[in-house]
Amino acid sequence: MDDIESGHLQELRRGTVVLACLLILRTPDYGYALLERLAAAGLAVDGNTLYPLLRRLEKQALLTSEWNTDEARPRKFYRTSTAGETLAARLLQDWSDLTRTLDDIDHGDSK
Amino acid sequence: MTAASTLTDRYVFAVQRSLPEAQRAEIDRELRGTIADTIDGRIEAGTDPASAEREVITELGDPYRLAAGYADRPLHLIGPALFPDYIRLLKVLYIVVLPIVVAAILLGQLLSQPDDIGGAFGTAFGAIISVIAHFGFWTTLVFAIIERSSTYKAQAWNPSTLPQLPVGSSIKLSDTAASVAWMATILAAIAWGQFWPLFRDAGGAVIPFFDQALWSFWLPYFIFIALAELGFQLVLYRARRWTWPLALVNVVLGAAFAVPLIWLLLTEQLVNPAFLDAANIAPLFAGDGVVTIVLVVVTISTGLTDVVAGFTRAARGERRAS
Repeated sequence: MDDIESGHLQELRRGTVVLACLLILRTPDYGYALLERLAAAGLAVDGNTLYPLLRRLEKQALLTSEWNTDEARPRKFYRTSTAGETLAARLLQDWSDLTRTLDDIDHGDSK
Repeated sequence: MTAASTLTDRYVFAVQRSLPEAQRAEIDRELRGTIADTIDGRIEAGTDPASAEREVITELGDPYRLAAGYADRPLHLIGPALFPDYIRLLKVLYIVVLPIVVAAILLGQLLSQPDDIGGAFGTAFGAIISVIAHFGFWTTLVFAIIERSSTYKAQAWNPSTLPQLPVGSSIKLSDTAASVAWMATILAAIAWGQFWPLFRDAGGAVIPFFDQALWSFWLPYFIFIALAELGFQLVLYRARRWTWPLALVNVVLGAAFAVPLIWLLLTEQLVNPAFLDAANIAPLFAGDGVVTIVLVVVTISTGLTDVVAGFTRAARGERRAS
């Protein structure tokens, strides 16, 4: 039963990682720090999922990247692009629409 | 420390080895940084520095899988978009094309080397194995390539490709039983013709009905065709209705049986001359003898009836489908 539940939860949360990344990366950050920020926000995601995802979003021009070599360890910083902002706004709108729809269904049922 | 850094080196090397050349340098750099950051984070959180690296790399997982994620490459040979077409094609190849190819090889072998029946069946058996392997391999290869060429769009599925319901099967059990009984009769006749002591020669040995020279090829051939026909009846019964491919196989089997039989009858090769003499019925079985003519006419008419019935029933099924 727990397997079934966690499977469905995972399914439900799948798309939210992209949205969270686009929202968080309005302030530029590098891979590991983003992973930590997501975890702190309660959206724990595996590195082997997140790092390829960042690359894919960059390829889709939703993120831009820049190497920061000021510190001893060079890091690749990602930032949400204008296209990324537009998409994030669209996804966020959809998310709140869905919340409202599900709420309506839920309350309509329990009447 | 040297040993510890080697593990990261080995991991990054393994990841970038399965990446396209253009992405290697950058992913190498980023991945090293990320692994180092994660290790530092673990150590800060209290993990034993000695095991932190192994732990981090274990969590990143199979390097091939990670590289596939970076390169946006599928982790399957044939994905869900193509899988139904793939399975359908394999079924056609194995159920329809394979038997035809094997039958053609067997026939070719038997005709070119009539004396070597065991060899012909051996060749056919070897052909089955290699044709199965070839069909499977090349089909899979082509579909795996299509899967990796992003331009391909799977064709929209069309409801009119749905098969007909098998209800009210147009194959009657009585028809199947009659065909099976007929084939059993042929097999029994061959056995009977060989062993039934109707006439004995001077030495007391049984005089067989069929010409013994036929054992070098034609009698085993007819046994094979009869067994193939039995198999066909089984397939037909399970299919529950006539289809065009089945009607076609029916023609091939019918012709494979009737044509040699008629030829042997007309050229007086079928019946053992010693038997005809002993029974004193040689004129009846001559090329223009009464029995020969009757048998030829019966063979042709039953064969044609069977072939036509197959096609008309396939056509009827088709019409009901559209």
